[in-house]
Amino acid sequence: MTDVTLVAKPVSQGKSGFSALLSMLWRDKLAFVSAVILVLIILCAVLGPALLGDMANSQNLRGRNSPPFDLARGWAFVLGGDSLGRPMLARLVVAARSTIMVASGAVLVSLAIGATLGLVAGYMGKNISQVIMRLADVIMSFPSLLIAVVVLYVLGPSIPNMILVLAITRIPIYLRTTRAEVLEVRERMFVQAAVVMGAGHWRIIARHILPVVAPTLVTIATLDFAFVMLAESSLSFLGIGIQPPDITWGLMVAQGRPYLTTAWWLALWPGLFIVITTLALNLLSNWMRIALDPTQRWRLEARSTKDE
Amino acid sequence: MGASQRRPCLTAKLYWEAELTFKHLLIGALLASTIATPAMAQANTDITVVLSEELDLVEPCMATRSNIGRVILQNISETLTELDVRGDKGLMPRLADSWEDKGDGTWQFKLHSGVKFSDGTTFDAADVKHSFDRVFSDQLTCESKRYFADTTLTFTVVDDLTIDVKAEPAQPVLPLLMSLVTMVPSETPMEFVRDPIGTGPYVMTEWTAGQQIVLDRRADYWGAQPEVTKATYLFRSEPAVRAGMVAAGEADIAPQITAEVADNKATDFTYLNSETVYLRVDGQDAPTSDIRIRQALNAAIDREAFIGTVLPAGTELAVAMVPPTTLGWNPDLTPPAYDPELAKKLIAEAKADGVDVSLPIEVVARTENFPNVTEVSEALVQMFNEVGFTATLHMVEVAEHEQYYSKPYPESTGTRLVLAQHDNSRGDPVFSMFFKYDSKGTQSGVNDPKVDEMIAAASAATGDERAALWSELFKYVHDDIVADVLLFHMVGLSRVGERLDFTPTIATNQQLQLAEIGFK
Amino acid sequence: MTKLISQRVIASLLSLLGLLILVFFLSRLTGDPAVLFLPIDATEEMKTQFRALHGLDLPILEQFGRYVWDFVHLDFGESLRKARPAIDVVLEAYAWTLPLAGITMGLVVVAAIVLGSLAAFNVGGFFDRLVSIVSLIGASAPDFWIAIVAIVVFAINLSWLPTSGVGTPWHWVLPIAVLFIRPFGLIVQVVRGSMLTALSAQYVKTARAKGVKNLPIIFVHTLRNAMLPVITVIGDQAAAMLNGAVIVETIFGFPGIGKLMIDSILQRDFNVVLAAIMVTALAIFIMNILIDLAYGLLDPRIRN
Repeated sequence: MTDVTLVAKPVSQGKSGFSALLSMLWRDKLAFVSAVILVLIILCAVLGPALLGDMANSQNLRGRNSPPFDLARGWAFVLGGDSLGRPMLARLVVAARSTIMVASGAVLVSLAIGATLGLVAGYMGKNISQVIMRLADVIMSFPSLLIAVVVLYVLGPSIPNMILVLAITRIPIYLRTTRAEVLEVRERMFVQAAVVMGAGHWRIIARHILPVVAPTLVTIATLDFAFVMLAESSLSFLGIGIQPPDITWGLMVAQGRPYLTTAWWLALWPGLFIVITTLALNLLSNWMRIALDPTQRWRLEARSTKDE
Repeated sequence: MGASQRRPCLTAKLYWEAELTFKHLLIGALLASTIATPAMAQANTDITVVLSEELDLVEPCMATRSNIGRVILQNISETLTELDVRGDKGLMPRLADSWEDKGDGTWQFKLHSGVKFSDGTTFDAADVKHSFDRVFSDQLTCESKRYFADTTLTFTVVDDLTIDVKAEPAQPVLPLLMSLVTMVPSETPMEFVRDPIGTGPYVMTEWTAGQQIVLDRRADYWGAQPEVTKATYLFRSEPAVRAGMVAAGEADIAPQITAEVADNKATDFTYLNSETVYLRVDGQDAPTSDIRIRQALNAAIDREAFIGTVLPAGTELAVAMVPPTTLGWNPDLTPPAYDPELAKKLIAEAKADGVDVSLPIEVVARTENFPNVTEVSEALVQMFNEVGFTATLHMVEVAEHEQYYSKPYPESTGTRLVLAQHDNSRGDPVFSMFFKYDSKGTQSGVNDPKVDEMIAAASAATGDERAALWSELFKYVHDDIVADVLLFHMVGLSRVGERLDFTPTIATNQQLQLAEIGFK
Repeated sequence: MTKLISQRVIASLLSLLGLLILVFFLSRLTGDPAVLFLPIDATEEMKTQFRALHGLDLPILEQFGRYVWDFVHLDFGESLRKARPAIDVVLEAYAWTLPLAGITMGLVVVAAIVLGSLAAFNVGGFFDRLVSIVSLIGASAPDFWIAIVAIVVFAINLSWLPTSGVGTPWHWVLPIAVLFIRPFGLIVQVVRGSMLTALSAQYVKTARAKGVKNLPIIFVHTLRNAMLPVITVIGDQAAAMLNGAVIVETIFGFPGIGKLMIDSILQRDFNVVLAAIMVTALAIFIMNILIDLAYGLLDPRIRN
């Protein structure tokens, strides 16, 4: 979901800006490939469960752990079969939806809450700031494991609850980052000038502070995507995360753990999907960070002329 | 190295140097590990055991808890009697030389003379009495108390080596129950101890919480001297690591590894581990109150398909709540055949008689209950759905599972089938049948006066009559009322280092007697 | 300055109290420790007795009152499972986690700042891409996967290192290496990102335009400006590690706070959970105070 908003952002700059951006993207092959991968993953997440849902759940105990790259059982088994004889490929595609939902849900919720509180804490008076920051301390010290057990015990294991658990634990990082940057930006000359000229708070925040804070937040958010997917996997490993019949890549990695030495493909493919998603997201966001920053864009343009 | 050849000279040199230092490090590591290894697993008679679970306590009266029992039972603390799990000798003397039924619920135990505790005091009848006083004390919560739930025991010290135990009501398996209570000296305080004193062949010489426990052989043990001189217990929760430690020579025995990591026939043993896996069915709940639905559930499961796939080869199909080595086990019972057509037919018949067969069935299973529990549960749910049930899976962690498993059962729209694992290595069904089938049993889904009567009768009987009564009960529960969905007698896998002469048994889950370990 | 710190300490104590209340009541929502301590076929009488022995049968507010009373007398209660003072259990575990977290974070910070800045100076180049991709793979690979593969390869197949446990320094190599990977991946990316922003600042451009090459002065100045988000992320990762490296500790049988925490949470050993969280919180609060002081040092304008 983050990807959608990220990709959508330049649209506001007008049609020509968007196509210019696209051609710039085409010139940076790594970023282009990343964008294509992300689009594919989103397609999987949207269409996968409807198209492959049944296939992903059809078990065959006697044909379990079938090795990958064997087309004898059909294309769905090209990545092998899992411990219940279900096709890995179909399961990976179907799992994309809940994986992306959990990861983007947790990242977006914690980003929104954390950044807002951080802005308030950095911008408003000392007392409010003090209250918010100590709240962040409390959340930071509250182990995610305990939050997970409390939420799962009281509310039951489900995808929305998992988003809740992960989002709570990730709030402090956005909060503290935003506040620290706001404190710094607030003191800069142009912001001080805006204050002197009588600009309103919201205008200062939107015009002067957010643009400076956003790149850092986006870097952290894209990294957090991986962090959240893995945290969810770890919770499954410890037996307090998402449980079957729900599937996520994280859960698949955790379930493949006993077979690491006998059927490596059970844990490797979902792990690889997590790695590829993270790589694509971060490479694209790194590229975008430069592409969207007028003071940096010359790097891409300069290099692309050099390349051609 | 192929890529680095094209590098400028300087970089290549740096790489080369870096690699050299790396090699030095590795050689260092290699040396260190060869030096370190003998300190852990010596070539002599000291052994290292790597267990899956750490011990919270080393309290003798908690020895029936498996993780504690594996370390202290019969090693540090001994019992009056002992069940033979290797042969067919039945109940054997340990600290008691003999016992006799005096009638009227009283048993007389003659104690072995010349037995000394590891603190030097002599073991006598007063110690037996004190050991039981601790079990029943309200100052500490001893596990073994549960075996005497509805029984009042009165102890009379006849002389130093003779004690009378009177049970009210009479307890025909009292000598067997004596194999579950460990003996401590009369000086032992009424609180959990951290330095257990026992009569066993070993004494605990080190306990570093979180790391290791060390037992050393006692020179003044009353019985035959075991071969193992010292045992170090380590704790690793990951089966691959435990198995790897034996393979790497860091440990000698790794109980409870998984089938997936047991890849060495020479060192890996498979044995029935006294656990039985079943689905507890609530017979008071719709739609499972109808016997045809319970039969359909049984017929829907392709039990054979699990074995050698998600469960290790050697797993046996269960026809009773207790493993085949138990008294009164009924060899005439056969597991329900896999017959999806029969299941569909039974469901249709029940439906025709007004049973709402569309009610949801929720299979509740516990994460980490046994290896591959998730796969087993997922497969069961699919098999139920294939014959037309509306089954879903609900995986929960241990505390939540307990809520579904024990009474009072929470409300549900349809019904819940609780996947559970029950352990009885004690040799007698009395430890299982009341809890699982009596109408007052805490995990029972049965409410049948005839079952209650049969359990009461069998519990009070002795000898061949007892075996026959249990046998009859197994048949009634399995064939006549189809009380639950019995699935598998599970196997355990242990890896035993090649220098040891040791075969794990059905009791290895509960105890690991160092005296049974020899060297090749 | 002193006034500032003392204010901060008081505020932190208040949040410690808030945390205590939160954890105390939330953890008691998660079930009854008696059924987990006792075997499944324990009688109701045994359960009642267990609750009475540990004061779990009292009204919850009275339990809380007693806990707070003991707490202000620095008594954290007894572990329900281990029959020992909870704080002893926790401090023992901390003695293992602190050096593990300290060494790992030290290595991570040094490596991440050096490699991340170098990548930023060389943005878009080969070295930049290499660092980015390697660190991102590290940051997104599941740690239990890495841990088990590392044990199989380095300890079992190659026999270079011991599989698990503690004892010699060699036992620390694999846990530290596995623990290093993820925070390194995250921090190196943040360093690179904020260095990029800082490098595009006007004064750096001016310096570069004037012909000053990538000299240490630029490096130091840029780094200083780029450090704010970096320090925050380091703090976040350090906090996660102070909470215990659960997975790594579990797999390597490392007797640290993470393993203790998950065991105690799953077994509902409330007193140990509370004591562990209180000690962790204290460490995290102190760390956060230090971080905020560091902000002030890096950027004097923030100081007030």
